[in-house]
Amino acid sequence: MSTIIHFSPYKIFVPILLLLAISFPVCAEKYPDPIPVAKLFQTFAAGADSCIIPFSRAGNLILIRAKVDTTEGNFILDTGAPGLVLNITYFRNYPVTTDINEEQSGITGTVSAVKKTEIGKLAFDCVTSNAITADLVNLGHIENVRGVKVFGLIGLSILRQFEMIIDYENSLLYLYRIPKKNASAFKSSLLKDVSAYNTVPIEIWNNKIVTRTMLAGKKLRLIIDTGAESNMLDSRLPNKIFENVEILRRIKLTGAGDKKVEALYGNLNNLTIGNQNTGRLPVIITNLEKTCLADNSCIDGILGFDFLSLHKIGFNFVNNKMFIWK
Amino acid sequence: MRRKNKFIFKWLRACCIVLAILFVQAAQAQVDIKSYSIKNGRMFIAIGKKLPKDSLQNFIVQYELADLDLHTCLRTGSTDSLNKLGWKVEINNAEVFVISKALFSVTNIDDPGDKIIFAQNPKTDSQPNTGDQGRFGYNRFKNKVPFIILDSVVRFFLRGNTNAGTVNLAGSFNSWQPTALQMRKTDSGWIADVKMGPGKHLYKFIIDGDWRIDRDNMNTENDGMGNDNSVYYKPNYLFNLEGYTSAKKVVLAGSFNGWNERDLLMQKTSSGWKLAVFLSTGTYTYRFIVDRNWLTDPGNPDKLSNEFNEFNSVIRIGTPYLFKLDGFLDAKQVVLQGDFNNWKDDELFMSKTAAGWEFPYTLGAGNYEYKIKIDGKFTRDMNSGGNTVLVIDPNFTFRLKGFENAKKVSVAGDFNNWTTNSFAMKKEGDEWIFKAHLYKGKHRYKFIVDGEWILDPGNKLWEQNEHNTGNSVLWFEPDQ
Repeated sequence: MSTIIHFSPYKIFVPILLLLAISFPVCAEKYPDPIPVAKLFQTFAAGADSCIIPFSRAGNLILIRAKVDTTEGNFILDTGAPGLVLNITYFRNYPVTTDINEEQSGITGTVSAVKKTEIGKLAFDCVTSNAITADLVNLGHIENVRGVKVFGLIGLSILRQFEMIIDYENSLLYLYRIPKKNASAFKSSLLKDVSAYNTVPIEIWNNKIVTRTMLAGKKLRLIIDTGAESNMLDSRLPNKIFENVEILRRIKLTGAGDKKVEALYGNLNNLTIGNQNTGRLPVIITNLEKTCLADNSCIDGILGFDFLSLHKIGFNFVNNKMFIWK
Repeated sequence: MRRKNKFIFKWLRACCIVLAILFVQAAQAQVDIKSYSIKNGRMFIAIGKKLPKDSLQNFIVQYELADLDLHTCLRTGSTDSLNKLGWKVEINNAEVFVISKALFSVTNIDDPGDKIIFAQNPKTDSQPNTGDQGRFGYNRFKNKVPFIILDSVVRFFLRGNTNAGTVNLAGSFNSWQPTALQMRKTDSGWIADVKMGPGKHLYKFIIDGDWRIDRDNMNTENDGMGNDNSVYYKPNYLFNLEGYTSAKKVVLAGSFNGWNERDLLMQKTSSGWKLAVFLSTGTYTYRFIVDRNWLTDPGNPDKLSNEFNEFNSVIRIGTPYLFKLDGFLDAKQVVLQGDFNNWKDDELFMSKTAAGWEFPYTLGAGNYEYKIKIDGKFTRDMNSGGNTVLVIDPNFTFRLKGFENAKKVSVAGDFNNWTTNSFAMKKEGDEWIFKAHLYKGKHRYKFIVDGEWILDPGNKLWEQNEHNTGNSVLWFEPDQ
């Protein structure tokens, strides 16, 4: 903990940053009373190669304050989103640079129009992205359910050059920029003690983080998604898998356009990620056929907050590794 | 490709039949079977025909299957209602009843917005956060007793953290000033006395500079900007039931909590049962449930009749609004009914005066609709032609400039359930206005000009709706 920032230009600021990181409100309060502290923190962190971001939550979704050009507000950290997604309600004056039909689902033939735009700058703490393309979509239904103003989603491509560690218990997000030089050897100070965590390989598939595992002798391909509150499992998986699921009740999920769909809610047992048994993992069982691509490759499930919050968890998107604290 | 799909489909059907046979065998071996399982992408429910009624009811409650009406299906043998819901009867013989249904996907989770909604936590409340109007509340603490109250002073208590150097208390009661209220250390934690009025108060502890919600307080609230705060309700009403000390459980249910029969457990005292709550201005009806028996409050003489030909006890907090109807002096019975009493037409009987009829009724801030029934016939509102609108404590004015030749302009939104004509706007100068009471948070609305729904031309924020015509969006922050 004493060397969170280990890049030489910032060494002298280590004690100050530590002090500020501790004193900064973990769950930011309603009124911005600690403004001087926050401003000071941001001054040091701006343009830096690492930062510790206290986050708040809407339900179990991670909210980060970010700025897109001149518009500042809450963005959801969503590793299930490919990149930057803007809520069109607040970015309606941006020119739509691409208005294409993207075939998102091979076997169902679902086609949806994706509006895109170019933004000048996205910035939050030590993260700055200039001149990037963003999707423009209506995120009003998230606002309506959560009662929180949501300006957009910060997706995977924004974080690809970082080592990212999520600590739900303390509501802190750690980001370390992976230097281009010796990128494969990079490890932040939090990962120095290798006995504290397990390392699990990940891969990036269709702009999503995927981990592979086995259950009941069957291979499973699961997405790691901070934008999903619940874990999900495809109802079309082999029956052997469901021998490990204790069904608790039937539920109704609301999909696009307020359409309701039946699903089952239960506990998944005996799942291991890396060497760690996840214990009794709450899971929604639903039909995930719309995740399939044209080549019939599908995902088998999603690991969301109910999994991510079990332990401190980290990702290195350059080396394609996931770190799960013991 | 199509041939391949056909083959797969046939293969799956064959599997289902084999499974169904297996179900029969299993079920015949055990006639009191009840199971919910998933096979080949389908849900299967198997119920033994000799399963006792209460056991079946427990199964229905556990898996939330009330809409299937399994009691009737098993009793009458009719499965039409199940078929309509998409269930397929696999087996229906003297021993066992097995039904199945495919699980469908309606959401493309590659769309991040849809995926987030789809993958909500089913355990959490997915109701819209309307800023919690704070009309009703009670404290739910774990690991510690509720804060002690002496007159108007509340003693806030933070359990533990005795190694901390300083602990401050900040909240809506001190404008969130981080250093204004330093807490005092005790043997078991930290305390601070705060003078405050009844109602909803937000707070956080600042432990050595670190802002923390009260982890022992189960009431938290997101402020709409993504920040969580702890919520404390300073009570202003004590529900009290004397006696019944041998009862196992006493529950309070009323209009303030949607008559929920489980939520509000009363606390046992040496002489009876009590529960302290906060109730904002308004009229509330309630009853006690003593070991499942509903009871009118014997200690409260104020009561109104209910649909069971019994009485609900009544609490009125605040100054009443006087509903008036001029004339109709020959009428025998005049009844007031509105959304504030769930349109009950046998509850609020108006009293005759020298000039007409009146009825005092206490209402909190909000938008209401009502009708008056005179000897069984409704009066009609002169403006809207329907219900009469009453706005108590308006705090926001909808304005639409222009449209000087329009004959009828109204505003509709989530605040009036999108009712077309109820919120009729009045012409003032070069604009149409309507004064409403809005709750904190997001609102969606549209204007209706001579029958045509339009977005608010004075508001650049709008979002798409299910009709692809858009709704204007307003984030309302009332003056504190």
